[in-house]
This record gives sequence, structure tokens and C-alpha cells, in this order.
Amino acid sequence: MTGRANSIIIVGGGASGVVLAAHLLKSPNPDLRVTLIERRPHFGQGIAYSTLLSAHVLNVSAAGMSAYADDPGNFWRWLQERGLATAEQAPFYAPRSIYARYLGELLDELQAREKQSGRLRLIREESLSITPTASGVEVALANGTSVVAHLAVLATGHDEEPAQGHAIRMGSEADTALPPDAGVMVLGTGLSMVDAFLALEQRGHRGDIIAVSRRGLLPSPHRKGNPIKLDVADIPLGTQLSYFVGWFRDLIKENQKAGIDWRDVVDGLRPFNQKIWQNWPASAKRRFVEHTKAWWDIHRHRMAPEVYARVTEAVRSGRIRLVAGRVVDIARNGEFTVQVQSRHTQRLETFEVARIYDCSGIVRDISTSSNSVVRSLVDRGLARPDPLRIGLDVSAKCEIIAGDGTVSAKILAVGPLTRGTFFEIDAIPDIRVQCARLSKQLLG
Amino acid sequence: MLTKKGKYGLKALVHLARLPVGQLAFVNDVATGNNIPKKFLDAILGELRNAGFVQSRKGKDGGYRLARPADEIKVGHVVRVLDGPLAPIPCASRTQYQRCEDCNEATCQVRHLMLEVRQAIAEVLDQRSLAEMRDISLDDLSVARAIDDLPVAGDIGDLPVAVKVQA
Ligand SMILES: Cc1cc2nc3c(=O)[nH]c(=O)nc-3n(C[C@H](O)[C@H](O)[C@H](O)COP(=O)(O)OP(=O)(O)OC[C@H]3O[C@@H](n4cnc5c(N)ncnc54)[C@H](O)[C@@H]3O)c2cc1C
Repeated sequence: MTGRANSIIIVGGGASGVVLAAHLLKSPNPDLRVTLIERRPHFGQGIAYSTLLSAHVLNVSAAGMSAYADDPGNFWRWLQERGLATAEQAPFYAPRSIYARYLGELLDELQAREKQSGRLRLIREESLSITPTASGVEVALANGTSVVAHLAVLATGHDEEPAQGHAIRMGSEADTALPPDAGVMVLGTGLSMVDAFLALEQRGHRGDIIAVSRRGLLPSPHRKGNPIKLDVADIPLGTQLSYFVGWFRDLIKENQKAGIDWRDVVDGLRPFNQKIWQNWPASAKRRFVEHTKAWWDIHRHRMAPEVYARVTEAVRSGRIRLVAGRVVDIARNGEFTVQVQSRHTQRLETFEVARIYDCSGIVRDISTSSNSVVRSLVDRGLARPDPLRIGLDVSAKCEIIAGDGTVSAKILAVGPLTRGTFFEIDAIPDIRVQCARLSKQLLG
Repeated sequence: MLTKKGKYGLKALVHLARLPVGQLAFVNDVATGNNIPKKFLDAILGELRNAGFVQSRKGKDGGYRLARPADEIKVGHVVRVLDGPLAPIPCASRTQYQRCEDCNEATCQVRHLMLEVRQAIAEVLDQRSLAEMRDISLDDLSVARAIDDLPVAGDIGDLPVAVKVQA
């Protein structure tokens, strides 16, 4: 392909797709054509922001949730302009449905602005495959038609594969009404478990909730603070994991001695997380994912203080029981009899529950993805899983890498799909930076 | 500032990077080949092993080798482990900050410039791999020598040809 890519298809219109479209359309190029394809009825929602429950709030404060990399205050201003929050409420954790509204309005405005120019086109349809052609790419849709462009960007986000075995997903069709006193088990003790607990409460459920995960750890709460200032010159890069973890623990200890909260140390490291990840040898990445990530996640991905207060109160009162262990057997006898082996004592404990919710958030091997586009790229050798199989293999410029190692100039990816390369790329503050960079790379 | 420890460590790693993949080197050979005191080298290699840059094997046929390919280890990775945070002057580091007794950091222009130097150091050292350092050719080394040999405050017309060609 010579010259600039003027026409770009974004496959997936969740938060990442919308944020990318917004950044691309900042370009003054009159020949630009952006096509956004989304299979859900609404753009800008995906799984994260489609919840209607007001208790499901963002886990990043409003000050961090702007869609624009160069205007970090955009969402916070938007909230205040609409009287949805006041300056005194900072740090403010908005309901996720409000965030969906923000992204929806943002897209509406872009559409109105680009009506004359025809630079933005929205398609509500599932996309089945992407095929490179001589002049660009062709994206096939479920309605039998297809669209063509110079290049395509995958923004299909999280895999929405149905839960396996006896466990079901909250909010899915199988999630029928439960007797209010029924005992339930939740697989996972992270942020998704917290979501499930809040949803059960809202439905008037009062029964016991057994939450099981390998370590049984609850995420930490946010607290007002100031991230410490670090520089890349300070941070050991490219070492073995144990060396890095030793350094990081010492750093936290030293700061705590000076009266600084560990959160400010964890957050101070954040600007460098992608760099740290990219410099690690493959063995360190693997060890991190296997052993350290669970610990990292509860410190790094925190919840709003009000939510934390509700959850810890539920744990204190015995409504939620956190179990560190492994499910070894599930027998069905009308209800479910679940055997869990304790991580600490190795002893088996038996639970009788009416329902099992899958909130494990385990990242599945992308080559068995339930997403047709991703799956067909991998099946045809046009894409491959990253070495850790936590996403698609992409270059540092977001280009997907084929089965034979060839870097594609026509198919790219953003968001959680690229975590094998970028690692810290799940949340909006990182996604928007990636989208800004990619826009610059594609359009200059 | 690169200390002797950092310099010796890099030399030892270049030595290991020259060996066929997987082959072990005796500590004595590395020490004598690079003029490094043996005891000091033992300590340095121990630290490099903790950080995951080299592997060792004990015993009669024991020795050291790189833990991963030389093009995956960046010079900056090694220097941070041996010498601590990259900083041209102790007051220009965030985590290993040391106040100068004799000046006020808020108004010190020297420190300000040195912060910029710190960025430049990180940029160079984090781009260059051990493999690249190993492959710096003798030609380049002779240019470096020529630069070193330049007469102080010499006339520009006196520059050795090699330097002009290089530019
Ligand atoms: C429950 C939850 C809460 C979160 N809360 C926060 C938060 O508070 N703050 C934060 O910064 N981050 C949060 N995150 C992180 C989240 O990953 C990102 O904010 C964001 O949702 C990622 O968006 P995405 O568009 O990449 O992926 P997704 O949200 O998964 O969206 C992908 C979109 O692509 C569409 N799609 C997929 N395949 C196709 C196809 N073949 N054809 C057509 N359309 C397709 C899907 O329908 C979907 O709309 C949360 C995540 C979850 C799961």
C-alpha cells in the first residue's frame, strides 16, 4: 500500500472503538473515512458499560476517564456541566451507565459534526471476518454484505464466551429468578464478584454468597492520594521477576517509612508499566502471569471506597464468605453440591448452593475465542496468539502478527486484545493513549 | 555515573556474549582477559545472576554464561542493576536522591541540566543491546581513539580524516 490509509474500518464499537474513532476524526483530512461496526444495539458500551445498575460504578475516578488523551478533564467537565456531579465530590466514581451515556453522546456529536463530510459511518451488525485484499481489507458482515477499506482495526475487546460447565454468567439468559434465601457460589473474588454481589443485593437476594478463588483475596479500595514521582532511570528493567519484585517491595517499604501510602507507590509506577512489561524476558512475563498477577491485580485494580465499604461489611457480617481454594467437584442434585479444597489446609469443604456464577475473569486462549472475527484470523494464520496466550500477538505499533511472523500493514488491534504486548491496556486511561498514538501513526 | 563495577560488569558480559550460545566461561578467563580483579568479578557476576542476566554452573567444568540472547539484554538493564538508578550526579535521581551539601536544589542550574542528561543516558543505554555493544567494530573503536587523541583546543582544520568521514 502506498500513500496514506484514508479509509479505516474499526471492528467493535465498545469503548475502545469509540475512543479510537474520536481520535481519528480529529484529523482534518477531508478524505478520511471511518466505519465503526458494532453488533450490540448501542455503541460505546461493551460488557463494561452496558450495566444499568446504579451501584455498578466505575473503578477509576471521573478525573481519569476522559475519552481524549490530550484532554484528561473531558469526562469530569461533562459530568459537572450536566449537574451529575459537583467539584466537591472528587474523587467521584460515576455509575458505569453514565459513562455509557458519555460515550454515546460523544459519538452522537461526532456523527452530527461529520454528517456533511460523510467521514463517519456506523454499522450495527456483527462482523464475521477480515480478509486482506490487493488494495486493502474486506470485512464480511453477518447480513451477507461486506465493507472494504484500506485497513481494519480490531477493537473487539473481551471475549464474551458463555460460561463453561455448571457455572453461568450473571445477566445471561440462564440467570433466572432465584429464591431470595438461596445460597449461591461465585467463582472469583475480584471486581466481577463485587459486581455480582451488588446485582444480587439490588434484586433483593439475602442468601449466603460463597466466593471462591485461588487466593480468596478481595481487591483494595481507592484512597485519595498523590502518586509518587518516578523516572525510568530509577526502575530496574529487563531483570528476572524476583529481582524486580524485591526492588518494588523495598520501594514500598521505604516510602511507607516516610508516611506514604502503598497506593501512591503502585500508582507512581503506572506510567512505566508498559515499558517494564516490554523489557521483561519471556520467563519473567510467564512467571508474573502465573504467580504475581493475582497479587498485583488486587493492589492495582481497586474499587470505589463506598463499594469497598459495602463489600467488607458483607464479609464481616458473614453474608459473603471468601474462600481461598480450588473447586474439585460439582455434583448436580437439583441444587449443586460443590467441593472446594482449601489452599491453606488442603481439606475439602462441601457447599450446597442453588446457583454458581462464573466471575473468574480468566483470560481464555485466544485461539479458541468465541469471537468469529478473531477466530477466523487465527484459523487462517493471519493472526496468532501472543506467547502467553492472553491476547493477540501484535507489534509495538499495534499491527497484528501472522502465524508465520509476518507483521500486517493492514490489520491492527487496540484495547485488551493487545495485552500480550502492552500488558497495562485494559482501562480507559491507557486505551485512550494507545488510540491517540495509533491515530497519529495512521494519519500523521 | 558509570562506576568501575558497572564497567567491569559490562566487559564481563561482552566476554560472555562472544562465546558460542550455551558455552560456559571460567571466571578466571573472564578476569584475566579483561583485567578485572577476580574477587570483584565474583561479586559482580553474583549480582548479575540474581538479576537474571547470567547463569552459573558449579564444579570443575563450572562457569558462567548469558541467561538469554545478547540482543535481548540492554546495556541500561545491566547498569541499573550494578550501579543503581541512572544518574549523572547523585542529586539528579528520584529514588537515590542525595542532596548536595553545598547548593540549593531549587535554584541549581547544574542539577536542572543534569536531569536532561539523565534522560539522554537512559535513552542511549536502553536502546543498545549487549549484542550491539559486542559488535562495535574495531573501525569504530579506532575512530573513538582518534577523537580521544584530538589535540586540546586544536584548529578545526587539524581534525583527523577518520572523524570527518564518520560524521
Ligand atoms: C465489568 C467491567 C468494568 C470495568 N470498569 C472499568 C472502569 O471503571 N474504568 C476503566 O477504565 N476500565 C474499566 N474496565 C476495563 C474495560 O476493559 C475497558 O474500559 C473497556 O471496556 C474496553 O473496551 P473495549 O471496547 O476494548 O472492549 P469491550 O468492552 O469488550 O467492547 C468490545 C465491543 O466489540 C463488539 N464486538 C466484538 N466482536 C464483534 C464482532 N465480531 N462484530 C461486531 N462487534 C463486535 C462487542 O459487542 C463490544 O461492544 C472494566 C471492564 C469490565 C469487564
